[in-house]
Amino acid sequence: MKSPLDSTILFQLGPVPIAQSVVTTWVIMAVLVLGAALLTRRLDALPDRRQAALELLVDTLDTQIAETTGARPAPYRGFIGTLFLFILVANWSSLVPGVAPPTAQLETDAALAILVFFSVVWFGVRSGGVGGYLRSFAAPNPLMIPLNMLSSVTRVFSMFVRLFGNVMSGVFVIGIVASLAGLLVPIPLMALDLLTGLVQAYIFAVLAMVFIAAALEPGKAPGTDAGPTTFPTEKET
Amino acid sequence: MTIDWWTLGLQAVNVLILVWLLSRIFWRPVAAAITRRQDTVEGMLKDAKATQAKADDMLAEVLAAREGMAAERNTLLSEAALQAEGATKAALQEAASKAEALLKAAQLESVHINEANRMVAAAQSAQLAVDIARKLLARLDAGKAKEPFLDQLIDALDTLPAKDKAALAGATGGVDLISASELDSATRMRIETAVAAALDGQPQLNFQTDPALIAGFELRTRHFVLQSSWAADLDAILRDLKDAA
Repeated sequence: MKSPLDSTILFQLGPVPIAQSVVTTWVIMAVLVLGAALLTRRLDALPDRRQAALELLVDTLDTQIAETTGARPAPYRGFIGTLFLFILVANWSSLVPGVAPPTAQLETDAALAILVFFSVVWFGVRSGGVGGYLRSFAAPNPLMIPLNMLSSVTRVFSMFVRLFGNVMSGVFVIGIVASLAGLLVPIPLMALDLLTGLVQAYIFAVLAMVFIAAALEPGKAPGTDAGPTTFPTEKET
Repeated sequence: MTIDWWTLGLQAVNVLILVWLLSRIFWRPVAAAITRRQDTVEGMLKDAKATQAKADDMLAEVLAAREGMAAERNTLLSEAALQAEGATKAALQEAASKAEALLKAAQLESVHINEANRMVAAAQSAQLAVDIARKLLARLDAGKAKEPFLDQLIDALDTLPAKDKAALAGATGGVDLISASELDSATRMRIETAVAAALDGQPQLNFQTDPALIAGFELRTRHFVLQSSWAADLDAILRDLKDAA
């Protein structure tokens, strides 16, 4: 049996091996981009049901970002929202026969976590400058600097391990049950996998928001409306 | 366990590209639509507020104008009432003056009518009294009252001026001597004698009879009448009564 930690290489582009997860990601990207282009073709002042649903999605995301970061959601909407949509579609792609979700591959989750790591640095530097971002490691006192630095790496590591473990385990459980029982038996587990995929996408997006919010200097976040805001910790989340 | 770094890098790039693409074609347009509609709604609300404020101002102006109109109406009504009251008073005063004048005129007219009636009544009364007296005197014997009337006639002739006496004496056609009853010849002779003595002449006396004299005599020429009779007395009394009335 092939290890779930190994990725399947479909073909080579010169020295670059193209894994199945990359191709699936491209398909998902195409679906998302084409779907977004189609759905946002005619945005009117008087919204129809389609536009109302889109606006509900964006408004919900903005509310989540505003409640988590205490800042205007515009600078973070694209990154957080795309993370959520991509992970959600990637998780649910396991329902398509013959498709392995990209998030069930360690490289994809690690890439997402690395992006979150760098986005935290990027938004932190934008918020308070390099000094301000580095000072955030000395909170609440300089003795915490080593722990905070270690935490900034480990929390990202925990993010992608959590996502990878949940999605990969779901895929494996469904595969095992499908191989042992009949065709309809895995359906409840697939429904559960839908819920798991949604929850994991939500958790990943919220954790990314929390990490970014923790790096923002209170009152100096891009587009901050209010003053200092207390952000939830990862544990609380 | 091995990590394919190429795959990791490709996936990172893929997600970054997806973030960029979706930001351009999904998140921003939808958020812009929301913002645009919010701006539109805010603008409409501002316009509505401005319109509401204008409407309120216009309403206040209308109310103020209506209050002004009401005040002006009240003023006009008060002035009209005052004018009407003045006109009424003037009309009443004029009517009272006219009525008073009419009353005075009516009273004066009434006085005149009463006076006229009284005069008519007095004249009628005098006439009635004279008629009664005339009828009562007519019952008396005119002959018995002859002498006093003859004496009275002679006295009257005596008091005439000489010129008149001469005119009577020389009257052409004679002098008519009218008596209430037929005179006998002796009486005629005595009368002729007395008249001649009184006139210092001898006029021609034409004796006539007129019962209307009741009693007494009357000397008459074409230009002269001398009466001494009850009829003449009654006529004199009647004239005096009427004059007195």
